[in-house]
Amino acid sequence: MDAVTLIGFIVAGYAAFVTIAAAIGVVLKAPRPTWLDQVAWMLEILAVVLAIGALAAWSGGRKPESLSTFLGYLGALVCLMPLALQTMRGDRSTWSSGVIAAAALATGVVAVRVMMVR
Amino acid sequence: MTETAPATTRSGPHLVLLTVYAIFALAAGARSLVQVFTHFDEAPIAYLLSVVAAATYVAGWFAIRRAAAGSAGFAKIMLWVELAGVIVVGVLSLAVPSWFPDDSVWSKFGSGYGFVPALLPILGLLWLWRGRPEGAR
Repeated sequence: MDAVTLIGFIVAGYAAFVTIAAAIGVVLKAPRPTWLDQVAWMLEILAVVLAIGALAAWSGGRKPESLSTFLGYLGALVCLMPLALQTMRGDRSTWSSGVIAAAALATGVVAVRVMMVR
Repeated sequence: MTETAPATTRSGPHLVLLTVYAIFALAAGARSLVQVFTHFDEAPIAYLLSVVAAATYVAGWFAIRRAAAGSAGFAKIMLWVELAGVIVVGVLSLAVPSWFPDDSVWSKFGSGYGFVPALLPILGLLWLWRGRPEGAR
């Protein structure tokens, strides 16, 4: 297993953790805690690391089956969470945690797809 | 429920629905564009249905926004259209596999997306029926 695959698994696993943490917030009907934002930004940092790693492997000669698909997934990987957090800026309600949960789940799924198509 | 408050300022389950619709509009849109522009000849029917799915998610996003702002008419139609689309394409993909040499977004009831496409209009309709009054804080 190469380094990028390892990072991919870490991103997917951490994304699952963020999803569950945010979903618990929704179930408990609690206002969105500030630590959830920090946990979500941490996922974003990991996603960026994965994207850079995948790009480095690509420039190092690795050829994805479909380049447009590969680049599309990378774009989604790094854009999803900032967009979700930006949309929910100023809204600390319970359901804003649900938005973070959905974005984290999607980020994890995209991370797995990046590993599959790269 | 006040008609004047913009949809985005009020909280509720529709925020999650909107997020998932946005993600699916993006995912289905990007996927159908890649399919249509890079290898359309391989499975034209499946790829055109992907375009339809993407358009439905964009329309669904606007419909849910409007419903959250108080006018649910468009959402009622759009979510039933979406549910019908998922079911018809799902059945077709199993009944006439020759039309689907490659997968469409709604193939096999959206199995490629963890069946979320089949679940999404149902959740939306449930929200329209039950969730909206509570969701409006």
